[in-house]
Amino acid sequence: MGSIKINNEKGIVELSGMSYLYVSPNRPLNIDRGTNHAAVIIDGKTLEFTRMVVKRIRSSFHSDIYLKPIIILNGNAHRDPFVRELSDGVIYSFNQIELIQSQIHLINERIKEITFINSLSLEAQIITKLLAFLYSREKRDLDPIPSVISNTNYTFPFLAVHYDFKEEHNIFDVLEIARQEGLFISDFHDRVYLCSNCKSSHLSVREVCPKCNSSNNETFDIVHHFPCAYVGPITDFTNELDDHLNCPKCSKRLRHIGVDYDKPSVLHHCKNCLTSFQDYFVNARCMSCSHDNPVETLSPADIFRYKLTKKGEYAAINGFVSTPKDIEEIIGTVKYDTFKTMCKYEIERIRQTEGNSNIVGVNIVNSGTVFSKIGSSAQKELLRDLVASIRASLRSSDMITFHSSSIILISMNEIPERIADRIAKDIMKILQQLLDNNFKDFEVELKSSVRKLNYHLSAELQIDQMLNDFVV
Amino acid sequence: MSALDDFISFLTTMGFERFIRIFWFFVFFELLRYLIVDIVALLSNQLKLLLTRRKRTEALYRLRLEQPLVSLIIPGKNEGKHLYKLVMSLREQTYKNIEIIVVDDGSTDDTPIIGKDLQKNGFIDKFIRNNIRGGKASAANTALRFTKGSIIVHLDADCSFDHDAIEQIILPFYIDDRVGAVGGNVMIRNYKESLATTLQAIEYFDTISIGRVVSSHLGIYRIISGAFGAFKTEALQKIQGWDIGPGLDGDISVKMRKLGYKVKFAQEAVCLTSGPNTFKKLAKQRLRWDKSLIRFRIRKHRDVFIPNQGFSLSNFFSFSENIIYNLVLNVKWYIYFFDMINNYPSQLGYIILTNFFLYTTTNFIKFVLFSLFRPRRESLVYFIPYMPLMVIYFGYFLRIVRTIAYIQELFFKMSYKDPWNPQKTSAHAKELGL
Ligand SMILES: [Zn+2]
Ligand SMILES: [Zn+2]
Ligand SMILES: [Zn+2]
Repeated sequence: MGSIKINNEKGIVELSGMSYLYVSPNRPLNIDRGTNHAAVIIDGKTLEFTRMVVKRIRSSFHSDIYLKPIIILNGNAHRDPFVRELSDGVIYSFNQIELIQSQIHLINERIKEITFINSLSLEAQIITKLLAFLYSREKRDLDPIPSVISNTNYTFPFLAVHYDFKEEHNIFDVLEIARQEGLFISDFHDRVYLCSNCKSSHLSVREVCPKCNSSNNETFDIVHHFPCAYVGPITDFTNELDDHLNCPKCSKRLRHIGVDYDKPSVLHHCKNCLTSFQDYFVNARCMSCSHDNPVETLSPADIFRYKLTKKGEYAAINGFVSTPKDIEEIIGTVKYDTFKTMCKYEIERIRQTEGNSNIVGVNIVNSGTVFSKIGSSAQKELLRDLVASIRASLRSSDMITFHSSSIILISMNEIPERIADRIAKDIMKILQQLLDNNFKDFEVELKSSVRKLNYHLSAELQIDQMLNDFVV
Repeated sequence: MSALDDFISFLTTMGFERFIRIFWFFVFFELLRYLIVDIVALLSNQLKLLLTRRKRTEALYRLRLEQPLVSLIIPGKNEGKHLYKLVMSLREQTYKNIEIIVVDDGSTDDTPIIGKDLQKNGFIDKFIRNNIRGGKASAANTALRFTKGSIIVHLDADCSFDHDAIEQIILPFYIDDRVGAVGGNVMIRNYKESLATTLQAIEYFDTISIGRVVSSHLGIYRIISGAFGAFKTEALQKIQGWDIGPGLDGDISVKMRKLGYKVKFAQEAVCLTSGPNTFKKLAKQRLRWDKSLIRFRIRKHRDVFIPNQGFSLSNFFSFSENIIYNLVLNVKWYIYFFDMINNYPSQLGYIILTNFFLYTTTNFIKFVLFSLFRPRRESLVYFIPYMPLMVIYFGYFLRIVRTIAYIQELFFKMSYKDPWNPQKTSAHAKELGL
């Protein structure tokens, strides 16, 4: 058993050959530094800060970061269900690190067993992350967490970190894809209703006037006086002097319900538009977007408890490959495998002809942010548009493929690298213009790379080298 | 052959005086009151229409200019099945500024669902459901309480209307400011369904419709049909709506008259209703109606006969005419009948036969003559073969029913037991003499 070494300046804690990154509110935050440590310890005194750091880590698309074990120092923040779901343990002082060291070791060992395959769509990427996270933590159950800070009332924190508050409902679509793929089985848990306008579940349900939708109304008994057949709201019968009811038509005092009068119904009166009515409409006002939904127009969403299947477990270790929602079928592209095979043949050909051929890569640098903002159908739309513009600048013999949803690869055969470079620059200009026109409120960052194929090296190696250019 | 010879000699040897002596009932009541007076009144009415044509045109112009909101109220129990058709026919009306209020008086069928659906889809403006039945008057009062229009039209759910019926029934309010209520012209829609409905159709043509034109002209019109009647809201509020009774028809017009309002009949405001299709059902309906004469005229509103502050001559005449030509006439007929048995027992067969011809002939003459004063003349030929039966219909069927009704009501106050009103309300009405 070694002694604890704390480097306060660097925020590093060391114990028995394992080092930990210590993150606290009064220190500059650099999540990437966590990659070099066994775990991240977060100062859990303030919940806001803890939530923010946990979210930053788990929402990363780098397996070195998002799978990192997280320990909360000081239990306050750990009581938050969101933080608890996303962290791996709690300690009350650095002295307790040794108690959890073996557990952290175990997680890191299991992470080493996982194969990481780049998925194409955002949904597939999130599912890959989820599988890896569950596998590394030896978990098989994924249960919904009721939460007031969730826009859908029930949330799955590990999925929710990928979306803005307003886009949180997308996690249900992701889970449905995973279920359809057979990675999970599901069990009904509950149903929530979502605003038809913005898919929020923060709704205020109340009875409203059927004419003007106002909730400013009051309810009266209707009174029928038998002797004279007068019928009216009870306010017609009351007076300011005493509690007795007197008939406005025949002035008699009402004495005994069922004998000389009864109350055949009730009536509601709207103080806003002054109509009276018997049946309220029930409306749900969305606390997110203020839309007033008639309840029958709300979209129901079933909430399930999920359990990892054998197939899911297998996919966690071997990588989760395709989903029907993937992008392979986008017109004008070939499958990634086909692209690699064709590159191999091309290298064979230039070896004999001494020709010049190139591969070009286009990377959407901030794809995670972009795709989570625009949703999955718009994502596909965007990629389709990008491919169409690229296709327009190419000869028909050139091929396009997706390596992932953020990286497009293009083959440009039998032209000098200089020309390929120029074409690539032209394409980038067109693409950037297209993106700027489509997204006014945020910037889509593009990066490109051109490589002349070298017939001394394998196709796979050369593609990997190019992909490395894009790793930040 | 000798019977026919006898009959012919019975007729030919009869002098004028003897004719009057034997057929006094026919001459004084049928001929005088229902033919001569009617024709004179109709002609005078026609003349008045001609003379006031300009005033009527002006009234119509003013009505169309002002377009007052008219509240159509439809109280009823288990009438849901008629609502859709009714509402559609109301949407066809030439008069557009209407609100439709349906009151469901404790229906036990699908009426609540149908009503709510119509309201939700904007076909009616308000649907009020009373879970406990309170009777027709209370249902009408429920609707009244929530109307917004300056004129209220009371409808039965199983009626349908000529496309200008609403405009026609509210027009009299614009012709004369003092008009407080207007009755619509109800006719039988299902006149081909059975003999009972055919005979009713003829009755509605002549006695009811023409009778009302006449009484309206004479200022003694009193029965506003519950199926189709219009009221000035202000007047209806003054009398605070409908009271319990054996029908809504006769009472409210009396109360209006007492307040000094005029009550008119709008012949051009045509409404079609389904008459009871068997004589048994018809008898039940008429028993209820006829009891209301006793209950309303003789009991509840007997004060019109007493000269006091609210006394009005036309009310006095209206009531007197009503009582004489119904109650007294009914009694007189039996007197006539015994007069004949007593004094002419040997010629009774001839007398009945002659009466039969006399009545049929006048019925026929009336039917043809009155056609000139009717808004609808199509299909009149259809009824001609049925004319002889009218003697039996009027002379025996309706008379016997009326006799029973009068006896039941006069001596036993049976109308308070009528299930048409819930017992809980009738008990109070009886106690209060309403
Ligand atoms: Zn009362
Ligand atoms: Zn309102
Ligand atoms: Zn919303």
